[in-house]
Amino acid sequence: MTTVGQLVFSGILIGSIYALMSVGLTLVFGVLRVVNFAHGEFLMLAMYGAWAITRFLGLNPYIAIVAVVPAMFLFGMLVHRLMISPALDKPHLVVVFATMGLSILMQNVALMLMSADLFDVPPLLGGRSWTFGPLYAKPELVIGFLVAVACTVALQWMIKSTYLGKAIRATVQDGEAAQLMGIPVPRIFLITFAGGSALVGLAACIMTPLFSVFPTVGLNFVLIAFVVVVLGGMGSIEGALLGGICIGVVQSLSSYYIAPAYGQMFFFILFLLVMIFRPTGLLGQKGTANIGIND
Amino acid sequence: MSTHAMSPLRRIGGLPLMPERGTASVFELALLLICAALVVVRLPQNIQDVIILTYLWAGLALAWNIAGGYAGLISFGHAAFFGIGAYTSTILGVKAEITPWIGIWLGGLLSAACGTLLALICARLRGPFFILSTLAAAEVVRIGALNWAALTGGPEGLAILPVPSVGNMVFASKHAYAVLMLGYLVVVYVAAKFIEGSRYGYRLFAVRDDEDAASAAGINPLLMRASAMGISAFITGIGGSLFAQYFLYLDPTHVISPELSFQFALLPALGGLGSAIGPVLGSFAITPLSELLRSYLGHAAHGLHLAIYGGVVIVVMLYFPGGIAGVLERFNRVQRKDRR
Repeated sequence: MTTVGQLVFSGILIGSIYALMSVGLTLVFGVLRVVNFAHGEFLMLAMYGAWAITRFLGLNPYIAIVAVVPAMFLFGMLVHRLMISPALDKPHLVVVFATMGLSILMQNVALMLMSADLFDVPPLLGGRSWTFGPLYAKPELVIGFLVAVACTVALQWMIKSTYLGKAIRATVQDGEAAQLMGIPVPRIFLITFAGGSALVGLAACIMTPLFSVFPTVGLNFVLIAFVVVVLGGMGSIEGALLGGICIGVVQSLSSYYIAPAYGQMFFFILFLLVMIFRPTGLLGQKGTANIGIND
Repeated sequence: MSTHAMSPLRRIGGLPLMPERGTASVFELALLLICAALVVVRLPQNIQDVIILTYLWAGLALAWNIAGGYAGLISFGHAAFFGIGAYTSTILGVKAEITPWIGIWLGGLLSAACGTLLALICARLRGPFFILSTLAAAEVVRIGALNWAALTGGPEGLAILPVPSVGNMVFASKHAYAVLMLGYLVVVYVAAKFIEGSRYGYRLFAVRDDEDAASAAGINPLLMRASAMGISAFITGIGGSLFAQYFLYLDPTHVISPELSFQFALLPALGGLGSAIGPVLGSFAITPLSELLRSYLGHAAHGLHLAIYGGVVIVVMLYFPGGIAGVLERFNRVQRKDRR
């Protein structure tokens, strides 16, 4: 019983971190209706940033947030200006292949500059675990969970209550009407894309103490992020948290009871099952899966 | 590609100069002659390797284009079909001593069955949802192949005995492989060209461009999507078997990787989607370029050749979304205007 409890507990914690890493992707998809295939490489870039700040300035990776998040916001703005925004009015394939090209480019520039070596950050608190009654958890995981929940709540509040959030929702509902009402739609797109990128930066700082960073680290995580986002319902922020936690629990239970090697296979199968039987995801809007990329 | 390109100046000996839908052209015949000449001529081994790979990738890019370009089914999971084909013929050859000349067709058929099944499973999905599902399905196949060691040899992979014989489809000379790959490319090209100009092809285009209108006109979109995916997977599976016969070694990480799936999609995208000549031009331009960059820059800086490749993809997609074939056609159209 305690084993199951421990597995579910660890699954929830790791899953919330998957959710944090995916929320930027779901935000960008929800508003711009594009899938950023370079999302994993954004994560890789930000993880190198967090690692470098920890390694060379001797700072805690959580303090690196103040530098990495704004830097990733600017990087997102740059990518949007140069690539996403010019591709938005072209056939939808353009953005798919262009972001894929960006992913190849970033991965290999990282390989050139940093080599294929794995870089780590020393564990916090000397690697000791925190105990919660009968359950154990790494402090980095608990902090990640709290940040993920706080981030989801804050984003929800932002979307529901602030002027910017209302403008974003209006743009999603009807871009042309929003434009006519004086909402600067291109700027909303820019802020959303850059914001999604900044969220990846936040996730990277949380993940650096937990995972090694290497040039293809993004590929491992982007597949999980896609699964999380689709499972939760593309464009749904609370759905991403729920989807992430589901994936975390499935992964944790299946790697313990079946085989670690098959753990990943299970969540891809889960993904396909969700696509077959409930293509809108757990909390997505009806009919999303039947909409093309730019329609 | 349009029908009013029939002005006498644009035809030589009854054939159009530039590629058109549903007919051979001088351009294509000239390309075929060059390809055949490259097979016959005596060249250094490493150049021959590049030629063999270029022909094989061109055939595979054409196969992808039947689903992606003609039917609009953008798949990032074609490496699964490639791997299924490669593993089927190799396992049959290594474990049951069935000659690859038969195994290849069985591999192709199994791939086709998987492709059709995937299209049926994903019948309701469009856009990114379809793309991501194909990616996930390929990952399931890859992880399955990695762990089902009794059948696939697991991460250590499978090796084909390097004993040259026609019956084993293993050859000592690179010329034989070049002939084999060119044969594959030509057959696939003719098939793609045939589909392009047939009623079936026009139905695929109709489903791709406007599904509702197509089904209102009496076309069954699901049948079109499933059959296009099946044909595409069949050809991809055969390509996978040929790759296995040439490389003589298979392992899941190389044969079913997401990177390979992206490669299958990027070659036609760079060459030009939706026409038969596009994927061929894509492979002819990109494969030698990336192989040469790899051999010249690979030692100097690890990853530089792929970084350049990524940059080329971005620039082509943003500024020439029609790919190489799109540029050719634009050039063609400008000339046509000048002549009037």
